[in-house]
Amino acid sequence: MNDLIPVSLRVNGVGYDVAIRPWRTLLEVLRETLAMTGTKRSCGEGQCGACTVLLDGKAVSSCLYLAVEAQGKDIQTIEGPVGGDPALEQIQSSFAAKGAVQCGFCTPGMVMITKDLLSHNPEPNEDEIRDALVGHLCRCTGYVQIVEAIQDAARGMQDAAGEMARKEGA
Amino acid sequence: MSYLKRLPKFEYVSPQSLAEVCALIAGTSNEEVMLLAGGTDAILQMRRRERVPRRVIGLKGVADLEFVREQADGSLAIGAMTTLQTLLAAPVVSQRYDVLRETAAQIGGHELRNVATIGGNIAGALPCADLPPALMTLGARIKLSSQRGDRWVPLEDFFPEFGRTVAEDDELVAEISLPRPTSNSAGAYLKFHDRHSMDMTVVGVSAFVVRDDDGRTFRDLRLAYANGAPTVFRAKRAEAVLRGHALTEDGLEAVAETACAESNPRTSWRANGEYRLELIRVLTKRAIRRAWEKASSQKGTKS
Amino acid sequence: MNKDPHKELRDFQVLGRPIPKKDARLKASGHAEYADDITMPGMLHGKLLHSPHAHARIVSIDTSRAAALPGVRAVVTGSDFPNIKFGNLPQTRDYLPLAIDTVRYIGEEVAAVAAIDEDTAEEALDLLRVEYEPLPAVFDPEEAMKPGAPQLHGHAAGNISAHSAFHFGDVDAAFAKSDYVREDVFETQAVKQGMLEPHACVGLWDNAGKVTLWSCKMSPYVTWRQLSMGLGLQPGNVRVIQTFVGGGFSGGKQEAMPMDFCAVLLSKKTGRPVKFVHTMDEVLTIGHMRHPMKIWLRTGTTTDGKLLAQHCKLIANGGAYSSIGGFSMYLAGAMLNLPYRVPNIKYEAHRVYTNNGFCGALRGHTIPQFCFARDSQLELIAAELNLDPLEIRHCNALQPGDVTANGFRIGTFAFDECIERVAEISGWRGKRGKLPKYRGIGFGCGSHLSGARLMGHSASAAEIKVQEDGTIQLTTGSTDVGQGADTVLSMIAAEVLGIEVDDVGFTRVDSQTTPVDPGTFGSRVTFFTGHAVKRAAEDARAQLAEIAAQKMGADPKDLVFRGREIFNPKDERQRIKLKDVVRWGAFQQGKIVSGRGTYAAADEKIDFRTGEGNLSPAYNPSACAVEVEVDPETGRATVVGFWGADDSGTPLNPLGVKGQVLGATVMSIGHALYENLIRVDGQVMNPSFRDYKMPLATDLPKLADFQHSNVITWEPEGPFGAKEAGQGAGTGVLAALANAVYDATGVRLTRLPMTPENILFGLKRVQEQNSNRRP
Repeated sequence: MNDLIPVSLRVNGVGYDVAIRPWRTLLEVLRETLAMTGTKRSCGEGQCGACTVLLDGKAVSSCLYLAVEAQGKDIQTIEGPVGGDPALEQIQSSFAAKGAVQCGFCTPGMVMITKDLLSHNPEPNEDEIRDALVGHLCRCTGYVQIVEAIQDAARGMQDAAGEMARKEGA
Repeated sequence: MSYLKRLPKFEYVSPQSLAEVCALIAGTSNEEVMLLAGGTDAILQMRRRERVPRRVIGLKGVADLEFVREQADGSLAIGAMTTLQTLLAAPVVSQRYDVLRETAAQIGGHELRNVATIGGNIAGALPCADLPPALMTLGARIKLSSQRGDRWVPLEDFFPEFGRTVAEDDELVAEISLPRPTSNSAGAYLKFHDRHSMDMTVVGVSAFVVRDDDGRTFRDLRLAYANGAPTVFRAKRAEAVLRGHALTEDGLEAVAETACAESNPRTSWRANGEYRLELIRVLTKRAIRRAWEKASSQKGTKS
Repeated sequence: MNKDPHKELRDFQVLGRPIPKKDARLKASGHAEYADDITMPGMLHGKLLHSPHAHARIVSIDTSRAAALPGVRAVVTGSDFPNIKFGNLPQTRDYLPLAIDTVRYIGEEVAAVAAIDEDTAEEALDLLRVEYEPLPAVFDPEEAMKPGAPQLHGHAAGNISAHSAFHFGDVDAAFAKSDYVREDVFETQAVKQGMLEPHACVGLWDNAGKVTLWSCKMSPYVTWRQLSMGLGLQPGNVRVIQTFVGGGFSGGKQEAMPMDFCAVLLSKKTGRPVKFVHTMDEVLTIGHMRHPMKIWLRTGTTTDGKLLAQHCKLIANGGAYSSIGGFSMYLAGAMLNLPYRVPNIKYEAHRVYTNNGFCGALRGHTIPQFCFARDSQLELIAAELNLDPLEIRHCNALQPGDVTANGFRIGTFAFDECIERVAEISGWRGKRGKLPKYRGIGFGCGSHLSGARLMGHSASAAEIKVQEDGTIQLTTGSTDVGQGADTVLSMIAAEVLGIEVDDVGFTRVDSQTTPVDPGTFGSRVTFFTGHAVKRAAEDARAQLAEIAAQKMGADPKDLVFRGREIFNPKDERQRIKLKDVVRWGAFQQGKIVSGRGTYAAADEKIDFRTGEGNLSPAYNPSACAVEVEVDPETGRATVVGFWGADDSGTPLNPLGVKGQVLGATVMSIGHALYENLIRVDGQVMNPSFRDYKMPLATDLPKLADFQHSNVITWEPEGPFGAKEAGQGAGTGVLAALANAVYDATGVRLTRLPMTPENILFGLKRVQEQNSNRRP
């Protein structure tokens, strides 16, 4: 029996037409069908955040989301778009600079939730940052340097926005 | 040894309207067909093989199930597929039904709230679900839709026994209706778990208070509990204790004691029944106090 | 060699700077390839069948239906392997790749399948028919030690897996002389590594009969040896390639696991590579966890609180197999000697087999449990003797130059300074006894070592290939598991050669090409491998100096390596770029520059039976204070402040050190308050991150109240003055939390975890006692 169904997914700005089984999760299709292994497979229950991707700009656990239901949505993963993404780059740079990456397994999820957070709340306070991280486990860092990295990324993005505004104003 | 497997094989359909959904579930049983709302519980049930449906009906594309609408009569209509995030961000919710916002904000994390739905939180019939107690104290009514028509059920009559709702196999939770809020009223939802976020609720208490016009006595008090018993329930005897009375320490004690007597928390490896009773006692008092204060401050609803 | 570390830090070119981890950008962009990210043409997927019984004889296994399922390519059981037991210590080899006759815990691996995809592999598991004859099981170690208890292993009478006993001095005489003696019992729970990356591997048995395993191993060579042994192969025919390690903390990533064996054998049977990845509930159900312990501790002191004697009896619930248990028992007792002076010590430990998942090393190994008991008790002693909790620690603190009862020779050990530093940054003296009701502050101390001497097994080697563009490739057998070894080892090489960290390529371990090494554990890498790297860099530098000297007409002894250049400070004209030296040497003279260095510290022997010997070249003290707020009506404790200070020698990369000490701290907070692998009749009840609760960002103090300070010393035994920083910082935290809860509530909890329920009912008892005391 051929249980494959055609599904069109738009990932990081690129359209993919795939034939998958309807019971595949978005995480499985990203990793196994599209070979985009940046999004990680860990707890399988939506507790650890390692599988977080953005759907229409909002963080979701891709291990709990059927791939077929992600059709028509803008899916963003850690790999980022082909032309680069300044927000992603800023966050990745801050994470590296602040020591927020040790084993790195939680990192893609952490970067994606940071992108969600900063796009909706560009100047989060520490409580808001920690609140955004509750869907994410990190066993290595104790979260301190991750919080500092997010603060640094927020500042960096604010500075960049200010820079752009000045350029446009000039 | 149970463990999380890959999802079982199923056929997937994605209706685009409520009518389509009703047609799809007509004449089916819950064994063969599963409604998939947010999926955060359902996917895990399938991975644990607790449910192995032949067909999964995805509801994410049913636009007519996603809405937050103030009705002409002042009541609020919420579509079952409204996500927790939408709920807690909706101005009408924080302005008029803040306990609902407060409750939704305490559930899970961002990823969960972006996907989990109010309908799913109710239809799952989990005794630890947080929205049902808050909704119960708000006087919520649930609309069940099917090909045979619609019917409304008060939420407090919705859970007849552990793990079950009154919905027939051919019905789905379509809408939640909250009555127009009364003046001088507010609710609070307090829940307890070991960590400061994300955990399954050990005990949750929703208290909804209506103060009388001069603000000194309880015109009404409603109390509902998560994980205080095999189903979410309203502690009606406890509620009666303070009706018509002022807020006093002794009164709160009496309410708490009565609530404990009405509860039936279980002992499991997660927590002892004795400890849950302590939590019921403490959180009942705190929730009532908090709701009382909110009812008199700006957070309360004036007429 | 008493260097001033602060001056050294100022003079360093590269060391001492907060340099970002070399692979951070790669990991942050999702491009680091972990084992589960590997795909190969024709790769099959493996799944393991686990025993549902805590103790049973395997009567038969019928694999026919599973093998017949379309898409299944092969099935293996225990009898497909050569029946050679392997293990971590020569005297306790009790592991098999898959169980053959007997299963000894729920979760033990019994069979494995390889199929075209994971779904099919899972389906195949359901078709395996195993006939078991259940046997009586025992779960509690004290029950297991009783006569008549079910015996797990034929050779182990009374189910004693390991036994450690030492006696230094004369405790009986010392107790007799003590002004004050007390004894207490403490209990700790089963705790899991909790890393985010589940165990994963890809195995290949190729046409030439060579085996390759790609896996996230912290100790690839341990895996290599165990894999060879269990397969009955020569190690030379086995190749272990280390992938990025997504968190380890010891356990399965430290050794060869059933999945590794099965991947390789299934590959042999199918002619394809085979991948295995555990689900997280598998990870939480199988063995590998911290030893739960019951610790009885009797301590005698003077009225001034000076420790005269300690007698410790310890029972560790070892679970069904040995793992590294023999060493685990030795280590807990060895900690009686650190960080306090204890002249008379008696220690008796039993590691007991039970039908539970087996225990082994986990960050800190058996040290945190012991420090929890000892530093909790120390507070009790201080309270009874009316002594200041910091004073009692000061008066017993080991000092540099001390030799402990069991022969540890203490080098740098700025324990007093750590205590005072914590007191200062925490505001201890302004807080203790002055906080509002139900808010408390507690102190806790611990210690660790910088790598253990395990005869020749401790040895590390490093190789440096110098390339014609002035960059180098650094190769060791140690692994970066997230702790920052890649960066700090590169920094050491860069420092010696006067180049930048980005000029150093760091090689991941491949048993075919990298030097043999014990791997990453016991806080050995910066110290042991760092020394090897330093020596290799010095060797390369000497070769380069020769070439440069020849080219410039200088004396090689005068040459300085700095800023990617080699120059003679006495003569400005003698200055040349490093890469030009390499090119000239290579292309003019045919000199290929490569540096080699080793470090073993194998000079001293430890007698693990008597416990005597200088286990490590360096030791470090740890001190911390924790502030908690307890909700007296629910019992929930919230950590609102944490301040720690460690003497980790000279911090070669402060960014990395910070990540390590804070990470260790948070793991211990989890152990103290939230984590508990709950087993009922051998069944793990909470094999899920939902219910096995590790700290989240909202469970911790705000940044402003979560501080760590390095007490900087220059450890002459360490490379550039450094000591360990990854495990010591977690050792004092458990007691500090228990002491803080006591300070806040008057409830003394001697059992972990300190759950809200335990705190609440403890509070009720305290309140009852107080009201009973009223006249």
